[in-house]
Amino acid sequence: MSGGWVGTANRLPGARAGVILLILTAGSGAAAYLRLELRDLLPTEAGLSLMREFFAAALTPAVRYQAEGVPPGTMPLLIKVLSAAVATVRFAVAAVTLSMLIGIPLGTFASESFWRATAEEGRANARIRRAVSRALYLAARVAIAILRSVHELLWAVLLLAALGFTPMAAVVAIGVPYGAMLAKIFSEILDEAPQGASRALRAGGAGRLQIFCFGLVPLALADLVAYALYRFECAVRSSAVLGFFGFPTLGYYLVAAFENLHYGEVWTYLYALFGVVLFFDWWSGRLRRSLAT
Amino acid sequence: MTGTERRQQVRALWHDRPRRPFWRRSMLALLALILWSLWTGGFVGTDVLSERRLASVARFVSELTPYPLRESGVSVSGWLAWAGDLWAQRGQTAALSTLSISVVAIILAAGLGALLTLGATRTLATAEPYLPSGRRVPGTVCRAWRLLVFATRMVLALLRAIPEYVWVFVLIGVLGPTPWAAILALALHNGGILGRLNAEVIEDLEPERLAALRATGAGRLQIAGWGVAPLALPRLLLFFFYRWESCVREATVLGLLGIVSIGFWIQDARARQQPDTMLFFILVGALLVVLGDLLSALARRWVRDGR
Repeated sequence: MSGGWVGTANRLPGARAGVILLILTAGSGAAAYLRLELRDLLPTEAGLSLMREFFAAALTPAVRYQAEGVPPGTMPLLIKVLSAAVATVRFAVAAVTLSMLIGIPLGTFASESFWRATAEEGRANARIRRAVSRALYLAARVAIAILRSVHELLWAVLLLAALGFTPMAAVVAIGVPYGAMLAKIFSEILDEAPQGASRALRAGGAGRLQIFCFGLVPLALADLVAYALYRFECAVRSSAVLGFFGFPTLGYYLVAAFENLHYGEVWTYLYALFGVVLFFDWWSGRLRRSLAT
Repeated sequence: MTGTERRQQVRALWHDRPRRPFWRRSMLALLALILWSLWTGGFVGTDVLSERRLASVARFVSELTPYPLRESGVSVSGWLAWAGDLWAQRGQTAALSTLSISVVAIILAAGLGALLTLGATRTLATAEPYLPSGRRVPGTVCRAWRLLVFATRMVLALLRAIPEYVWVFVLIGVLGPTPWAAILALALHNGGILGRLNAEVIEDLEPERLAALRATGAGRLQIAGWGVAPLALPRLLLFFFYRWESCVREATVLGLLGIVSIGFWIQDARARQQPDTMLFFILVGALLVVLGDLLSALARRWVRDGR
């Protein structure tokens, strides 16, 4: 934040006005294209009362059903919220597990330091080996770019159309783009890890996998785990939103409650989502601190 | 050194290795969580490879061929003509709308974020920013500033924590399905993120130069405008472009909920059961995301390295 940024701060001034002007021009062009009018920002009377009711309900989340005449034998609202939260976590855990299975090998192949660690000199067919490793590296990079560019909800749309309604579709939908994202970040973390240990191991005659497993991975492990846990938090949010497609996660019940105008229940589900996200936030923070020492 | 000595040394090293009980217990808990979710979730099962599913996949794959080409046979030129028609009819407008929504949204988010940053930055939102004047500050004033920081940070947390999709649901209810609903949803969520990132950048600035500004008699807002802003701008721009990338990604998808962006046509094709059109729009969305990533990476590199 110090040295380098001072230089940048001094280099940018001439261009500063230019950048901001460019951004604002793009913005007004976009607004004109969308035919945005400030008038449309004024909500209708009905909209206003909806907004008032919705935000008033934030202070009084429902603890029992807001509908009249709930059939006897229905599980209490709070139990239902809990089971939806548990389902949300279950989808998220399965999806992150899949994303690790995809992301760890893909990220390894996409990192330059893996190939550097495994490049052996003086072996037969050195040139062929180098060409093959180059091709694998590029293939991993391209695969990451492709898998990552499709949003998890669009993966869900595709997989639901192909497979029909099955819990596996939701898990794969989150797992694939998250796996590519993990792979991208993993490869960057591996490349940024200090290289001294792996150089020393190579000088000591260690083999390729030895260098990678004992010279690179332990140094990067803390960052890898911290990032994986952060993605876990995102996966909880995504799995909640996947409820919009009918999976029994928080989003499903949230939309149903919203459409029945039971805003108190909506907030109960929202607070349950906060609770789960906050719990994982706390967990990952604590883990990161325990690794830092 | 004899063999036994060496063994003892290794044992001593092993005995003194750093231990992390919390780490170990967490890993066990994570493993248990994974096994439990796979065991009870019904994600893996024989059902996946049932004949019915495989037939459904086969039908889906066959329907990915554009409809007009299914009879006449697939050719590159026919495929291109089909895609070109679709692009001219709907794709172009949808792609431009999606991009426009993301641009307007990120600008509003930056404005909202900047406004909230003022209240959330501990070094600015305080009785004596950067240079204590030596006057005694009443305790109530200090507490009021602290309360302001706390309240602003809570607002930021709330804005961040509610997913864009929930904001869109509420906003469509309030405003109807105009582009504003998507724009405001993205702006609120990203404003919360930018506000927090900005506050951290500003708190990390070196205080000396800003203290000098205060010594000349500049007030809090003057320090923010003429000291903090120029110093922090490169970093803030990095975050701006980084969040814009994610705005493009989300703007494509928000259309699924009924706003005219690419997602709208994906949902439309899904409802009409036209996998060919659906795939076309998903690919257009993917191209847009790649384009956004590329532009944002170029802009960030330019801000960072000046080239």
